[in-house]
Amino acid sequence: MPNTKRYLITGGIGFAVGTFFLWNYPNLALGSAIIGGLVIAALCLLYSAPLPDMVKGGLIAGLFGAVMTIVYGPDKPGVAIIAGMLSGLGAGLLAFQRKPQATPQAGAALGAGAGAIAGAWTALALFLTAFVIAPAAGVDASEFAEHLSETVILADAMGLASDILILLFVLVFCTITGALLGAAAGAARALPLRPNIPLLAVIALPVILIPLIDRAGNLLLLDALIPIYIFILLALGLNIVVGYAGLLDLGYAAFFAIGAYTTAMLSSPHLGINISFWLVIWVAAAVAAIAGLALGAPTLPLRGDYLAIVTLGFGEIVPILFRNLGGGPPTGTLTLRFFGLPIGIEQMDLTGGNKGINPISPPNLPLIGNFEPSNKIPWYYLLIIIMGLAIFFINRLRDSRQGRAWMAMREDELAADAMGINVVRTKLLAFSMGAMFSGFGGAFYGAFIGAIFPSSFDFSVSIILLCMVILGGLGNMAGVIVGGLLIQGADKMFIPKGAELFRDIADQRALTTGGSTVGVSALQDLTQQRLLLFGIVLVVMMLIRPEGLLPNERRKAELHSDDDPININSVAAEADADPSLAA
Amino acid sequence: MAASQTPTSPQSAPLVPREPFLTKRRAFSIVGLIIFLGFFAIPIYQTILLEMVGDTGQLMQQIVIGLTKGTYIAVIALGYTLVYGILELINFAHGDLFMIGAFLSLIFISLFGLDPKTSSGLTIFFSLIAILGLVMLCTAFLNAGIERFAYRPLRNAPRLAPLISAIGMSFVLQNVGIFLGDGLIWGKAADALGSDALERVSTAMGSQSVAPKNIPDLLPNGQVFFIPDSLKYTYKDLLVVVVSLGLLAGLYSFVRFTKLGKAIRATAQDRDAARLMGINADRTISVTFLIGGALGGAAGMIVGLYNGTALFTMGFTAGLLSFTAAVLGGIGNILGSALGGLLIGLILALSDQYIGARWSNAVIFAILVLILLFRPTGLLGQEGGQKA
Repeated sequence: MPNTKRYLITGGIGFAVGTFFLWNYPNLALGSAIIGGLVIAALCLLYSAPLPDMVKGGLIAGLFGAVMTIVYGPDKPGVAIIAGMLSGLGAGLLAFQRKPQATPQAGAALGAGAGAIAGAWTALALFLTAFVIAPAAGVDASEFAEHLSETVILADAMGLASDILILLFVLVFCTITGALLGAAAGAARALPLRPNIPLLAVIALPVILIPLIDRAGNLLLLDALIPIYIFILLALGLNIVVGYAGLLDLGYAAFFAIGAYTTAMLSSPHLGINISFWLVIWVAAAVAAIAGLALGAPTLPLRGDYLAIVTLGFGEIVPILFRNLGGGPPTGTLTLRFFGLPIGIEQMDLTGGNKGINPISPPNLPLIGNFEPSNKIPWYYLLIIIMGLAIFFINRLRDSRQGRAWMAMREDELAADAMGINVVRTKLLAFSMGAMFSGFGGAFYGAFIGAIFPSSFDFSVSIILLCMVILGGLGNMAGVIVGGLLIQGADKMFIPKGAELFRDIADQRALTTGGSTVGVSALQDLTQQRLLLFGIVLVVMMLIRPEGLLPNERRKAELHSDDDPININSVAAEADADPSLAA
Repeated sequence: MAASQTPTSPQSAPLVPREPFLTKRRAFSIVGLIIFLGFFAIPIYQTILLEMVGDTGQLMQQIVIGLTKGTYIAVIALGYTLVYGILELINFAHGDLFMIGAFLSLIFISLFGLDPKTSSGLTIFFSLIAILGLVMLCTAFLNAGIERFAYRPLRNAPRLAPLISAIGMSFVLQNVGIFLGDGLIWGKAADALGSDALERVSTAMGSQSVAPKNIPDLLPNGQVFFIPDSLKYTYKDLLVVVVSLGLLAGLYSFVRFTKLGKAIRATAQDRDAARLMGINADRTISVTFLIGGALGGAAGMIVGLYNGTALFTMGFTAGLLSFTAAVLGGIGNILGSALGGLLIGLILALSDQYIGARWSNAVIFAILVLILLFRPTGLLGQEGGQKA
């Protein structure tokens, strides 16, 4: 049976990825098959292979670093440095399972090994990119060398004359940083601290360093990273509602929309109101929290899938409202009469209709001035601060009386009620707390993008967020972050970049063999087709690992209750033996 | 047992004390609702009702349109209600199955080479019947396959697991729709096989896989002879109503009078007890999905022909509408779904006319929320029969 599941997951994901590529790039059938089948299958087999944890962790984390290097490689080989760092860190975290008797030294050794493997794996990918993939995508050797010297930091400073030396330098650098970070992560994990400050510091280090490397090499990674972080922030909020309180919310994007629209209306020339971002972000969070209460109050008596459908309805109504409250056509607009007074609610143009609201004022700080769209670094650090605070508060909230009440309610509402938990208050707080964090996310999103449209908040957003929470592990924050990085990384970095790379390869092939080029049209269906991936992720996860990649321990026990069924006979025997039960 | 009850009360007290009517929860929802309704009631009266009464001809026309739409909404709603009745699962993918039905009917129409200009009426008539059968067959087995693959392994999982799996399936089916709607793929297949029929499919789908597809207008468009000209009612409308009602009646009698229908009802009532009585529950559930799928496919074909278009996202919207209809009528209840479908159709048509089509989805959802709050069991649902 475990084997069947393994084949299912391999087959499912391989099928999805294979279909995706085959569909878009039919003249690269061979490459598509390799990507779709072999790589993913390799990952799954690795996951279950009887290898030592060190090698396994290194190879798995390294695979992501390698993919990142390959998709960005031809244009921006410098990405390999960030990929090597991140995969080394990931490997260190993966390789070392915390055990009571573990020492930091053992953790460091394991982590270093895993990190080195991951870093080397990434470096290998860069090598592959330089000599195989870049030429195939139409980037010739001199061009690639130029990209290399442009994007690799320290290359000039170290006076590395020849390009091959730079390449070798990156290879060594990846391996060493990977090993160092892996060692640090492994050692920190072995510390019996709670909260584990060194571990957090090790994780924070690359997160804080990324913008600097990015700026030095002009990699433009932050354009993708900031939306990824925003979505992770949203997923953390959703995790409160779904993961902690067990209320399936299919309309979570509505709160995101409410936060973003509040910001847009209060700090843009659209309505002539221009309040500072630092105030508006709190207003947006408060408005979202109140909207959470407003959704929560009428749904109190509902349970399970009925609740899901009502939240879905809410998630549909909110974008409709934003779409229709403004920018409507001059004829046939809805005019309601209130005590005889005509109220043209669509003429008031609160939300700009389909055109949305544009521009939205950016935040402003004394030393930095306005946050410019061209300079992503202040945005990035602001978001990191928001996320850090959010993670801290959610963590404290989970361990508080309120958090325990949520979990009790999730396990059994009736029993929780009987134990004196105020279910009404607990549910409402779950909805409004969850909504509040997406209010923050929405406010930041609005200010960051600088323009918002009702179409950015549709059902698929709610589903992607749910996917992130489920893939990572319901109710476990680390899991949600990992799930978010995987799904959003695929969504915003790997798939679009990979698709671009594939298109380049296909076009290059067409040039040399005289076939037809793929052109731009192949990229247009991407939005919908990535939903295929997420759909398959949802189904496969439910079938194989409903508790997610990094499960919450209690939740895991709950979901696998059928693995060790209560033995009816033994219960009956006990009842027979105990006369007080038989009576 | 009775002896342990409160000895002070002379008459036998109920085992479970009735909860007071005004619980805190209920008070919350009622206050919220009054605010909510009050906000809408006055403008609705002053604007919409007055406008409705002002032009009765227009109102009648909208009612007729609404009832026609209502019949096919009812057919889709039946798919939800059947599955919910037996598994307590909101089969999220059902709406998308309906969409696949519309796409399949377009494919078969193109394969058969039907054309309203050149084909004779008799050919169209018999071909459409054959196509209806084929579409129903395909979607029935597709639905049963989905059940086998995505829901059956989760039979004993927590309740949310199959729902999430169904949402995933819905996205997968939407992409199947995009795939089927890709004219380039059909064109390649046509070139490879040298087939004219496939070439026609390719032309019908066009080069844009996500664009709406035109379905040829094969249904007769004349005014029905016994309806006065002031009310527009074509044979097309009549046909939609007749076929939908036929399907409803067929399903009702199947579930009510056949042995298999009895097994379905028994499994819906209590799966374990049904199993003890010798009913093969898994097979019965498969049959339910077969029937639900067939109905979804049929509805897809009806709607596709009626509206003349097919789009890969049409299942999501239609699914929400029909799910609301099923809940309105009392989910799990076949007649209830039919009634709910008609009502939702009416509301939809009236809202399209008097409020604006852009608001219709919001109106439908507001209604769904109201029903779930006040009567979670729907209009015809049994009290206590559902877990709301």
